[in-house]
Amino acid sequence: MSLARSLRGAAVNVGIALTALRTNLMRSILTALGVMIGVLAVVLAVAVGSGAQVSVESTIAQLGSNMALVIPMPDTKNGGRTRDIGKLTERDARAIQRSVPGVTAIAPQLRSTIQLSIPGRRVSTGGLAVTEGYAQITNTEVDSGRLIAGADVQAAARVIVLGQTVAGKLFGDLDPVGQTVRVNRVPFRIIGLLSARGSSLGTDNDDVALVPFSTGRQRFTLSTAGADDLSILFVGFDPAVELGRAKQDLVRLLRARYNVGKGDVQPFTVRTTEEFQAQSATVTGVFQAVLVAIASISLLVGGIGIMNIMLVSVTERTREIGLRMALGARRRDIRNQFLVEAAVLCMIGGLLGLILAIIAARVFEKVADFPAPVSLGVAVGSILFSAIVGLLFGGYPAVRAGRLSPIEALRSE
Amino acid sequence: MTSEAPLLETRAVEKEYAVGGETVHAVAGVSLTIARGEFVAIMGASGSGKSTFMNLIGALDTPTRGQLLLDGTDLASLTSDELAAIRNRKIGFVFQQFNLLARTSALDNVATPLIYAGLSAAERRARAARQLGAMGLGDRVDHTPAKLSGGQQQRVAIARALVTEPLMLLADEPTGALDTATSEEIMRLFGQLNDQGITVVLVTHEPDIAQYAARRILFRDGHVIEDAPVTDRRRAA
Repeated sequence: MSLARSLRGAAVNVGIALTALRTNLMRSILTALGVMIGVLAVVLAVAVGSGAQVSVESTIAQLGSNMALVIPMPDTKNGGRTRDIGKLTERDARAIQRSVPGVTAIAPQLRSTIQLSIPGRRVSTGGLAVTEGYAQITNTEVDSGRLIAGADVQAAARVIVLGQTVAGKLFGDLDPVGQTVRVNRVPFRIIGLLSARGSSLGTDNDDVALVPFSTGRQRFTLSTAGADDLSILFVGFDPAVELGRAKQDLVRLLRARYNVGKGDVQPFTVRTTEEFQAQSATVTGVFQAVLVAIASISLLVGGIGIMNIMLVSVTERTREIGLRMALGARRRDIRNQFLVEAAVLCMIGGLLGLILAIIAARVFEKVADFPAPVSLGVAVGSILFSAIVGLLFGGYPAVRAGRLSPIEALRSE
Repeated sequence: MTSEAPLLETRAVEKEYAVGGETVHAVAGVSLTIARGEFVAIMGASGSGKSTFMNLIGALDTPTRGQLLLDGTDLASLTSDELAAIRNRKIGFVFQQFNLLARTSALDNVATPLIYAGLSAAERRARAARQLGAMGLGDRVDHTPAKLSGGQQQRVAIARALVTEPLMLLADEPTGALDTATSEEIMRLFGQLNDQGITVVLVTHEPDIAQYAARRILFRDGHVIEDAPVTDRRRAA
């Protein structure tokens, strides 16, 4: 009938439900506990899943917004067999800067594990030999000192910029800028300390040290074959450039330079930030879906508990049902009464589960150093979802209650 | 027009049950009329069909055959929702065991039928309070059934039956759970209500209780075997 009347009916039913739940307080608490655990598990799963997403996204954002990576290796879709033919050189980098439209900067890199030592201490870390373009493309900043400059690259200066983790291991809380550290036994002057970049999915982005590109060329032990081979090339694009198109331009240029024919294996791979984002969205999406699916099982068990207890409740209150029918309750009034009771029970459980999940997520963030955000949408959604669980699992007992014959129900003891 | 029609008219009403493959004729062709303002006692031993007949005239059940006109409406043709509305608006039930909701105040108990009539909470409370006042329970509105005597509980139940202003009070062994003194008090109350013009149909197996009514209908084996005015009637003092 009218909306006012429906709302009135709902309010009455909530009142009846609360009285009934209070009457069997212990039983109600235990049943709500099942739903609480289910909602706790689901909300935590969603939180950890979106935490993974946030973590991966921030890593990608650190790469720079509009950028492509060129990696010297054959396209894996043709099999990894011919890894040794992977090739990318400084001349390729210069050609890209010259002839691909929209390129704002390039940052060729050499990568090698290096040994850093000061008297009494020794650590190994990931050494990156970079040009002055690196900072610009990757949004890298320093807490103190400065980054690798063009002059350092030209002079093949023995200078180094340390990441937070490396600096901490060698110097503790002291500012390392101005100190000397031996890189593979050769003394380098420390010119900068990188700002913290955090960790993503277990990889410490601060366990790193930067040296000038030319210095790295001289001092790094490189696995690549040629004298001007690169480990990796970052190509920065103007924000207005469409990355899909830019990638096509890059690939076309490099294929021409290496005479790669149709169907041949490319000696390089090009990945754009856009592709990383899409890829990680897929991976974290699957990760989250699996987590939520597993957590949902506990909610299912909670729901079965609801159905069980509602069946008991209907049986116990058969006489009340008969009385209400004699007083004029229609089948649907009785059905709705029990539906609301199940929904209220589930929502109480859901609310408790949500509160616990928010607390657990905060603890998890502290202990595991991994983001686990519980968004407002998830909070509201979990309460609504609990109500739906109540309606779903309370549905059968409620329909059964509504189908009782008033005479039989009145006669029951 | 409807006020000219009898309150209740049954025409060859039958009710059959299938019990273990056999058909039981609980009510086997009953035709009678109850007018507005009557005080009727329906009597009979257990298994006589009086309870089945009460369920039929109480719109809790529908006849297998025959017509059952309540206020001119044939109950046999109604849906379960329509029967619920009839029970809500036109019939006020009083039960042997009072059937009050436990842990629920007298006021909320009396207001329960008004929920199904679709009234607002304020209106429900106002009408329930008025009805309890009329039953002399104005100072007991917040008491739960556990805090009331048997007689008080039955008076709350009668208030609940009257709160929708029904055409007929239908009382099923209303004194069965009460002691003699309280039984007399409740029966005098029914007599007073009848004097105010309320139709009362009383189902009982106790001749003493039936003496409060003005007309006695006796059931046996699904048939009415006697339907006569009560000669030695006990009146409200």
